[in-house]
Amino acid sequence: MSLFEKKPLPYDLSNFTVLIVEDSLYMQSLMAQMLKAFGVGDILACESAKEAIELLSVLQASKKSRYLTTVDIVLMDWLMPKGGSGEELLKWIRSNEKDAIRFLPVIVVSGYTTEYLTATARDLGANETLVKPISGNGLASRICSVIDHPRPFIKAPHYFGPDRRRQTAAYLGHERRIHPPEEVKVEKP
Amino acid sequence: MTQKNDDTKVMMYKMANRLKERVGFNAPKDSEGFLNPAAIEEADKLIAEVCATCPETISKHLATLDALWEAMRSGSPAERDASATKVFATAHEIKDISAMCGFELIAYFAESLRDYIEKTNLNLQAQIVIVQAHLDAIKVVHHRGVKKDGGPEAEELKRMVQKAIDKFQ
Repeated sequence: MSLFEKKPLPYDLSNFTVLIVEDSLYMQSLMAQMLKAFGVGDILACESAKEAIELLSVLQASKKSRYLTTVDIVLMDWLMPKGGSGEELLKWIRSNEKDAIRFLPVIVVSGYTTEYLTATARDLGANETLVKPISGNGLASRICSVIDHPRPFIKAPHYFGPDRRRQTAAYLGHERRIHPPEEVKVEKP
Repeated sequence: MTQKNDDTKVMMYKMANRLKERVGFNAPKDSEGFLNPAAIEEADKLIAEVCATCPETISKHLATLDALWEAMRSGSPAERDASATKVFATAHEIKDISAMCGFELIAYFAESLRDYIEKTNLNLQAQIVIVQAHLDAIKVVHHRGVKKDGGPEAEELKRMVQKAIDKFQ
């Protein structure tokens, strides 16, 4: 690196607003403190999916107000027995008619390590999943991932969410595509 | 961005990276970025601090569960229902905290208790045995400070609780 080259600095998240949806106040407080340590500017917290839906709706409806913030990333627990689960919230987000809501990056945090959770969260349109016990590195890497690798969104007959194909390995077989993937419009047979 | 109302079409939306535009003036724009390592270290310290008090917090929740359990056994059906809701919430809280701090076995039993309470009518004496079995298992594991999955002893405890469920369900 030359003397005049700028040394890359860590991400400054002071312009970011993160919404935590977590029914355990204990976990909610811990995650908020972690985000604060990361320098996140605004941290909002809800105890249930229902509360989060109300908050996101209000923020969306009043987005012209310069006093109200917009949410950049949603960090949600999966199993919240009271007031709607993470699954319900994710479905609501991805089926929302407002672009500002349905394209929101969502990180699912859960104590479940089952393949079922990962597959369900992915198939409902979660961007990332994070399994408890969480670590500073784990949370940081998920946040960096949604910033650095915003996957294109796919709208298919039974799916709306980030492109689920993450592998970028080169295809070695015969190339049958006429258009690059970005231009593909597939019609149902 | 294009959008069509035809539900049979597969569409791809490739949008501007709004988040990357706001990560700071000197942050890498064309390559992967990073968070401040000192901030990550601080976050890990916070987790360690929380987990240091985890056994104490679980003890408090277990005392709450004991009191609720006593109220459930001796109360009227309406009181039982109210206490059952609180047992559910407390078990869920124990599950979250213990999973967070690596007490996997406590998390397992707390989750099992929570799910059982949710599905079950607690007015039956038989089911009271099952809840008691869960509470006893959590207490044993907590008393011994077992972390992770607990090995063969844990399997034995799981079998005992499962036996109680199978026998009295």
